Amino acid sequence: MTKVTMTVNGKAVSKEVSGNTLMTEFLRDELHLTGTHVGCDTSQCGACVIHVDGQSVKACTMFAGEAEGASVTTIEGMANADGSLSVIQQAFQDHHGLQCGFCTPGMVMTAAALLKENPKPSEHEVRDYLEGNICRCTGYHNIVKAILAASGQDVSGIAAE
Amino acid sequence: MPKDHGIGASQKRREDVRFLTGAGQYTDDISTYGQTYCVFLRSDVAHGTINNLDTSDAEAMPGVVRIFTGKDFEGIGGLPCGWQVTDKNGEPMKEPAHPVLAQGKVRHVGDPIAAVVAESLEEARNAAEAIVYDIDELPAVVDMKAALEAGAAKVHDDLDDNLCYDWQFGSDQAAIDEAFSNAAHVTTLDLINNRLVANPMEPRVALGEYNRANDESTLYTTSQNPHVIRLLMGAFVLGIPEHKLRVVAPDVGGGFGTKIFHYAEEAFVTFASRQINRPVKWTSTRSEAFMSDAHGRDHVTKIELALDADNNFIGLRTDTLANMGAYLSTFSSSVPTWLHGTLMAGNYKTPAIQVNVKAVFTNTVPVDAYRGACRPEATFQLERLVDKAARELGVDPIALRRQNFIDSFPYSTPVAVEYDTGDYTATMDKLEEMIDREGFEPAARRARPMASCAGSASTAISRPAALRRRTSWVSSARAPVSMTPPRCG
Ligand code: FES
Ligand code: FES
Repeated sequence: MTKVTMTVNGKAVSKEVSGNTLMTEFLRDELHLTGTHVGCDTSQCGACVIHVDGQSVKACTMFAGEAEGASVTTIEGMANADGSLSVIQQAFQDHHGLQCGFCTPGMVMTAAALLKENPKPSEHEVRDYLEGNICRCTGYHNIVKAILAASGQDVSGIAAE
Repeated sequence: MPKDHGIGASQKRREDVRFLTGAGQYTDDISTYGQTYCVFLRSDVAHGTINNLDTSDAEAMPGVVRIFTGKDFEGIGGLPCGWQVTDKNGEPMKEPAHPVLAQGKVRHVGDPIAAVVAESLEEARNAAEAIVYDIDELPAVVDMKAALEAGAAKVHDDLDDNLCYDWQFGSDQAAIDEAFSNAAHVTTLDLINNRLVANPMEPRVALGEYNRANDESTLYTTSQNPHVIRLLMGAFVLGIPEHKLRVVAPDVGGGFGTKIFHYAEEAFVTFASRQINRPVKWTSTRSEAFMSDAHGRDHVTKIELALDADNNFIGLRTDTLANMGAYLSTFSSSVPTWLHGTLMAGNYKTPAIQVNVKAVFTNTVPVDAYRGACRPEATFQLERLVDKAARELGVDPIALRRQNFIDSFPYSTPVAVEYDTGDYTATMDKLEEMIDREGFEPAARRARPMASCAGSASTAISRPAALRRRTSWVSSARAPVSMTPPRCG
């Protein structure tokens, strides 16, 4: 067992974990932050995306120990300070960018990373950036639309498919 | 202008806020006090006899609470099929035993052999790897035609062969023979509706909890159908009265049909939690889902259309082999029969229709309802056949459809359905307008030399809105563009 210390959604946390504890297990089982989902065992689905020191990371593919000293943000830390939905979250609701919601935390985290890097992405750039996130319900169109809308671009011409 | 209230207005979904903030509660998000973790040891061969199954080393591993094998389920019910089908000779379908844990034989890759319950997931995994077992591999049948040949390896030793049922439905033989003997043209098509794995993003999870004080069991499960699971598991598998059994289905991360059925893992965690008096949780891995979630489709079909000299449809005959996999999953038997045969008229006034379906056991993962559950299969067969007929006859495929559309309602099809209403001509008009057919086809022709994928397809689909009695359906005309409305899961 080793002690890991980090900041998660602005709060300092410190826990004893074994060396092979995955970041997903740390968040879900130790901190009870179950918004980070596990959809695969092959690093493919992206349901587990979180931010570690501002970088988007698949939490199923890193050890908790690797986040020692880091500042971590999960889906639970994405709403506005007053609890209202952030711009990206609101855009997902407005444009029906989710159905079952299982992929959604990863989609929102990936979208936030994209818009930080590229505040006005093209539709193609959005689709390209979502390459590591799988959604089984929506068919992606409304996710793309939501992200473009969150970037402040006009999506009224994009058909809802 | 988009409407802001009433029918047709866009609605904000109540569940979105919790899903968008990480506050959704999916089954794996639930953990209970004193919970143990379960890992299944699954067969890595398609067919075999279990010769030796020694759990003693594994039981001595750290953290192991108990290891269960088929022996623990002797005398306990197996998983039932929820729909009895009678074959064309009046015989009931064959429903072989479907044990919770394998009883001496494994019949598909993924068939569970043993289950380890331990203090942690890691300890359960390690112990599952330490189970010593020896399987004598037997010849496996995978291809349905081969499975029906004389002398083929049998999936179930207690059955005569691998045929579950031979079902016939619709017009009688004389009517269908007459239609085909009067035909000016017959179009024949062989096609495959391929097998698939549903793969919802949320893997299946089951958490069983037992309260010794009042003898009540609770099952938390990734389910589209908790009431049926309570009925089947309580009455047929574990013998728990309904008032002592609670089945909870919290937020479901997609199902696509595959979370409708009652699964061995649900019965297992409920049973095991009663045995060890502690909660037992199983979470499927994605790899495990491929060999333990019910698969979809898997039909091989020959379909024939008889047309008269004026291109009117006068007869339709289908011969389908439907793969059941190694066991009958909850609704598997109904899918290629009542959910499929009753749709074979499509939107056409074909006066004689006969549907023949042989359901076949093979050494593969069980197959059950998936998205549309055989209505897409029926539509795919029929509409591909109509397109082929149009090509053979050198006529416009849409004109051929229009000519044969049902145009007066109510209409009773030869496959036991009464259509109460519909306007297929109007929906086809709308479709042609939407796809700009006149402009589309020259564009597609221009695109062709560049090896583009442009092409056109038109289908007209009726889908029953509700099941009345077994043989009576209510149907409404649906826009021919979309097969199923987008929906959660
Ligand atoms: S759980 Fe699928 S990529 Fe992490
Ligand atoms: S909304 Fe269900 S997987 Fe994306």
